[in-house]
Amino acid sequence: MSAAGPIWKKVRQIKREAKGTGSIKSHAPKIPKGMKKILPASVKGGKEGKSGIQKKNAKSRRTSAAFLTPSVCGVMLFFVVPFIVVFYYAVVNNPIQHHFVFLDNFVNVFHNAAFRQAAYNTMKFSAIAVPLAVVLSLGLAMLLDSKIPFKSQFRTFFLTPMMVPIASIVLIWQVLFHYNGMVNDITALFGAGKIDWLKSEHAQVVIIVLFLWKNLGYNMILFMSALSSIPKDILEVAVLESAKPWQIFVHIKIRYLSSTILFVTIMSLINSFKVFREIYLLTDDYPYNTVYMMQHFMNNTFGNLDYQKLSAAAILMSLVMIVIIGILFLTENHFGKDVEG
Amino acid sequence: MRNSKKQKAWGALAAALLLTLCGCGKDAGKETAEREGNPQEDFVYVPEYLSLNQYCENIGTVILGENEEVFFTGLKDEKNVLYSLKIGEDTVKEFPLETENGIYISSVGKDAEGNLLFGLTGYEGDPEAGGTISQVIIKKVSPDGKELETIDTGNAFTKKDAFSFYIAGLLQGQDGNYYICSGEDIYVLREDGSLYCEIPVGQYISNMFALRDGRVAVVYRGNVGYSLEEVDFSQKGTKPLNTSIVFDYGTYQGGKDTDLLYTQNSVLYACNLSDEKPTSLLNWMDSDINSNYLRDFEILQDGRIVAVTVDYSSGGETELSVLTKKSRSEVPEKEILVYSSWYVPYYVEKDIVAFNKRSSKYRIEVREYGDESTEIEEKITMMNTDLTGEQPPDIIDLTYCPLSLEQLIAAGVVEDIMPYLEADDTIRKEDYVENALRAYERDGKLYAIMPCYGIEAIIGRVSDVGNGKTWTLDEMMALADSKGADTEVLQYMTKSSMLHMMCAANQGLFVDAENGTCDFSGEEFGKILEFAGRFPADAEYDPNAPSQIEKLRNGKLLLLMETVTAVSQYQMFEYEFGEPVNIIGYPTFGGSGLMLVPNSTTVAMHASSENKEGVWEFIRFNLTEERQEKLGTANGGFPILKSALDKMLEKETEDEYYVDADGNKQITSKSVWSTDDFTVEVYAATQEQVDRVREMIDTAQPDIGIDQQLFAIINEEAQAYFDGQKTVEDVASLVQNRVQTYLNETK
Repeated sequence: MSAAGPIWKKVRQIKREAKGTGSIKSHAPKIPKGMKKILPASVKGGKEGKSGIQKKNAKSRRTSAAFLTPSVCGVMLFFVVPFIVVFYYAVVNNPIQHHFVFLDNFVNVFHNAAFRQAAYNTMKFSAIAVPLAVVLSLGLAMLLDSKIPFKSQFRTFFLTPMMVPIASIVLIWQVLFHYNGMVNDITALFGAGKIDWLKSEHAQVVIIVLFLWKNLGYNMILFMSALSSIPKDILEVAVLESAKPWQIFVHIKIRYLSSTILFVTIMSLINSFKVFREIYLLTDDYPYNTVYMMQHFMNNTFGNLDYQKLSAAAILMSLVMIVIIGILFLTENHFGKDVEG
Repeated sequence: MRNSKKQKAWGALAAALLLTLCGCGKDAGKETAEREGNPQEDFVYVPEYLSLNQYCENIGTVILGENEEVFFTGLKDEKNVLYSLKIGEDTVKEFPLETENGIYISSVGKDAEGNLLFGLTGYEGDPEAGGTISQVIIKKVSPDGKELETIDTGNAFTKKDAFSFYIAGLLQGQDGNYYICSGEDIYVLREDGSLYCEIPVGQYISNMFALRDGRVAVVYRGNVGYSLEEVDFSQKGTKPLNTSIVFDYGTYQGGKDTDLLYTQNSVLYACNLSDEKPTSLLNWMDSDINSNYLRDFEILQDGRIVAVTVDYSSGGETELSVLTKKSRSEVPEKEILVYSSWYVPYYVEKDIVAFNKRSSKYRIEVREYGDESTEIEEKITMMNTDLTGEQPPDIIDLTYCPLSLEQLIAAGVVEDIMPYLEADDTIRKEDYVENALRAYERDGKLYAIMPCYGIEAIIGRVSDVGNGKTWTLDEMMALADSKGADTEVLQYMTKSSMLHMMCAANQGLFVDAENGTCDFSGEEFGKILEFAGRFPADAEYDPNAPSQIEKLRNGKLLLLMETVTAVSQYQMFEYEFGEPVNIIGYPTFGGSGLMLVPNSTTVAMHASSENKEGVWEFIRFNLTEERQEKLGTANGGFPILKSALDKMLEKETEDEYYVDADGNKQITSKSVWSTDDFTVEVYAATQEQVDRVREMIDTAQPDIGIDQQLFAIINEEAQAYFDGQKTVEDVASLVQNRVQTYLNETK
């Protein structure tokens, strides 16, 4: 430890100074308690005074309302009303008879083996894929942020999957992981038996690889951008203070990256739910049970006119999402509050 | 004040939102509810009917004349008579048609001046049993019954096979030549009756007619839809008409104001060949006319439309309908029942038209989803939205519904009709064949009744399949093994179709739908895979291959898979195999493999229908004795009403007679079964055959159809076994895994 104290304390102090909340006082004039602020006549509006301001305010509100109406209508139409409809379907027996059944649909869904399987698979997939997506993309970003040759080429290489259409991605994965695909051909060279990658216990591994391959580039760019926005003076001070690289990473970079980490985590979480698209194109409506996801359940129940089951499942899923995202926000708030501008 | 403003702002927002929603609803409703047909919704063509059978019981040919007249021929005192009836009048004029003995009126047509042309045919021997044509005469008669000309075609058609030559169409073109169409050929005769040329079209000609400009055109099934071609003298052939309109199966004739008038999917269209698309004039169903029975129609100068229909299913009932365009407000209103249908087969159209004509209170209107250009997925979404929407249909056709009955029940879409059946004063549950009645019963609730049905079965020689009532897959495999490798078990059967057949017949063995479990680990599933694997992956029609009957008689084809709809089919099968046959079910692992399949209007009542009484009236209408007794002939199949079935089966055992030239009573054939390869006359069935059919009806299991999703999974996984890449166990394990997920979802 240096004579000037731990490096993180130094960083906090510099940060506080930069935000004006530390030892540097704010110079804004303060009005003593119990006194009114007296404004010049020109600001008050002369004789019209209060009524003039009110008229202006009313006009301003009307203008705002006029501009807001289309957006509010859009939000009502495409978010609020559908949500109310979904909630309504979740508490009636079916879309025809509309008998109120309260929580029966939720109980049924909760006891439904397919729902539980889908929920388990989705949670398992997200729990593995999302941290991997965050950690690996952060690692890649750090790597490309350091002084290595061919940085630009590597960046392009990792971004390439983003440019490939989903149909082509699925085609590539089929060529690779089909029962008669390339991966089995290669493993056969080493005497290994054939594996039906997409219809076996390995199916989720294949989907995780696909997910990472497709999403790492985007996440990496976000992290690289965040890394480049870390104040250089702080890093230089840290270096001058003989901080070790891991200390710089943990105590400076991670803190500055916390909001990006939160964003990348949420985006990855959302994308992990959207992996249904790839699985559906690879394996159809009813895949091997390890890759049967929540959206399979919802998609299929919609096709079967089982709207009540679909609605109950959707509400349960959204509740879980709210909790997860809430936890993420709290976490970010806890670790990154002192570096937010 | 502030609150008031806030309220106004929220009110404006709500109104804007409501308007947007209203707009959405209107469009969505239009998309599914509108049906192609009468484009002027404010008008309707009101029909007036006149039965022509009141003037003559056995009407032979019928045609509309140029001067608002209808002409028809019939027998009076064993002599041919031409009847003429002025539209709007009710007395007919009779003109004797002089024909020699043994000469029959085959067809009637018109020349360019409105005279009638009768195609008369004489035969050598029995025309239905190897006879030949001896003479063809064309008789020209003026509209007032005066014989103008008799044209003898000489040797043009003599010695032609009586079965393959039949005058299906006759007309005289503006060039003075006569045109006769028969089967796949057009014969052009000079004015003196000599043959000018024979034009083979290569396809069965469904219509021959003169276009407005006098060109003679024919219609036949082409590679895409139907082809309209004109007769091309220079090439002694036909050439396509220059038009961008795509045609399909229907009835065609030349128009007076347009080049062409045609009926397709019960809609009457008019068009010029240069038009990009035709104009729809009316939907025949809206006027309670079955377009399948349409023989001729004319648009009169005052805008009325005259149509002649012949219903062969009811003994050739011939009806003249005069349609008058009226404002909807002038027509007495009926309560509308909406019939939701994926596809409208001929028998549905027949039943709806008959019901609409009969009911004074209700009227059924068909609601279809999209058109030929609509993608299947989109159609399914439209139908699903409609079934669960705010204005659902009253009646749901189950025969072609893409959703299974189980799905409809789970969604609460269909109503239990058992209470209606039990409460009905006019029909009794006990009067119907129990096995067929229970086909749509689930958990004690009845959701539909099929008025008429057939039995899917396998037919084989008694010497091959024995006399048993059922058989197992092992027995079928043993039979196949006992024959040479070049012997086909079932014609055109593929791996997938055999797999489908076996899974459908035995699905109860693998799937416990009640508990939502499945078990594909048993040896039965392996056997099915193994047996299905013996069949080819694809079956392509080979025009050079021996015919089915040749293969059966040479022992190169072992079995037939057919739907039995009449006892007389026994005789046809025996003729085909050349020895006694046994009608047996699909091979199973226990139980009957015979399947009851609906062959009639089979509908469910929508649970939200506001006209449930009306829906029940329609269901009951098809179960009444009067309708049931006609269904066997009309649809082909067995009626569900016991008394109608008894009558039908009793009639099958009765001989039919004719009186020969010496006045002796001789047994004659009851009907004829024919295919492209053979024709067989059938006589009275034996009591043994009738008893067997009864037994089949009583023991057959309802063909609830294997769940398509379930079969899709099985079929997909089975391909790896068929390709030799996976073992039975691997496939069974994968099927088990995926099907269980599917079943779990539906719990």
